[in-house]
Amino acid sequence: MFVYEKKLQFPVKIANPNPKLAKIIISQVGGPDGELGASMRYLNQRYSMPYDELKGLLTDIGTEELGHMEMVAAIIHQLTRKMSTEEILRSGLDAYFVDHTAGVYPTAASGFPWSAASMAVKGDVLADLNEDLAAEQKARVTYDNILRLSDDPDVNQVIRYLREREIVHYQRFGEGLRLAMEKMDQKNLYAVNPSFDR
Amino acid sequence: MEKQCAAMERWRLGSLPDPAPLAAAYIPMQEGAEPRYVPQEALSRGTLFPGLDLPFLHVVNPDLEQTPMTEMMAIDFVADELELYLDTHPGDTEIFALYQTILAMQKEARDRMVRLCGPICQTDQLGMERYAWLEAPWPWEYRKRGEG
Repeated sequence: MFVYEKKLQFPVKIANPNPKLAKIIISQVGGPDGELGASMRYLNQRYSMPYDELKGLLTDIGTEELGHMEMVAAIIHQLTRKMSTEEILRSGLDAYFVDHTAGVYPTAASGFPWSAASMAVKGDVLADLNEDLAAEQKARVTYDNILRLSDDPDVNQVIRYLREREIVHYQRFGEGLRLAMEKMDQKNLYAVNPSFDR
Repeated sequence: MEKQCAAMERWRLGSLPDPAPLAAAYIPMQEGAEPRYVPQEALSRGTLFPGLDLPFLHVVNPDLEQTPMTEMMAIDFVADELELYLDTHPGDTEIFALYQTILAMQKEARDRMVRLCGPICQTDQLGMERYAWLEAPWPWEYRKRGEG
């Protein structure tokens, strides 16, 4: 069961609309390493996790990622408010606008719509946790790249916050992997898949 | 000397297993939860723990404005950070005691925000005279700095 909290995890207050910036930041809503994919990856990996620490971690980080999806969507919403048709054409947001107006649609910056193909649920403790570690690094790099391209201080404050969360999550998944391996056969970690072989 | 430096810098270094089976990835365990940022600084930096605070190009966020909303967000954030830490350090009784303190502060900050701005969860409406869920602005709507 999920319960909505009518607040963000970190304030989003973007004073200056900027559709050109929205065009790239949308990738962290629905791109290959975005927050929608992150939440779906972790929340769906929970069911095959055999250890309580990992069930807890995937639940808590997956839930936090839903909050991050809302924060990035709030950035897009605020960057695209009160746009004139001239601004839409000049910014290059026209291709997005024709299909979605000023709505928030989960897509990559390239225009490729969100796809479950950008995430994995392998049903294997080691494979899934290594996927999660890589996913946090890829999201961190996407935020690095947004910081290279954006000079809006209101946007960058939120992006720096979200980027730092990727580093904390990476550490926690790494610790989770350690705890999992300690429960497995130390002489042969690959002897069985504890998610399936009981 | 090197050993001494390592001890002093323990909060930014963690431990690896000994021995460590081959063909596996290892992240060092965070050893303890000291030092920590104060809640407002933790929120603006995106982590409670200086040892995990690794900003891009070393650029750090400016301080957040102090409002009842950011004060509540900061306490909520410390709770979130402690929960993730406790998920992988469930036996750390000291941090669980700190988590208890934060939960009490969170309840206080929540109650104050609900009195000021209306319900944060639907269930915050217990005892209210009318349906107030729709009244306060939605979190994604633009509001100037200083306005909630």
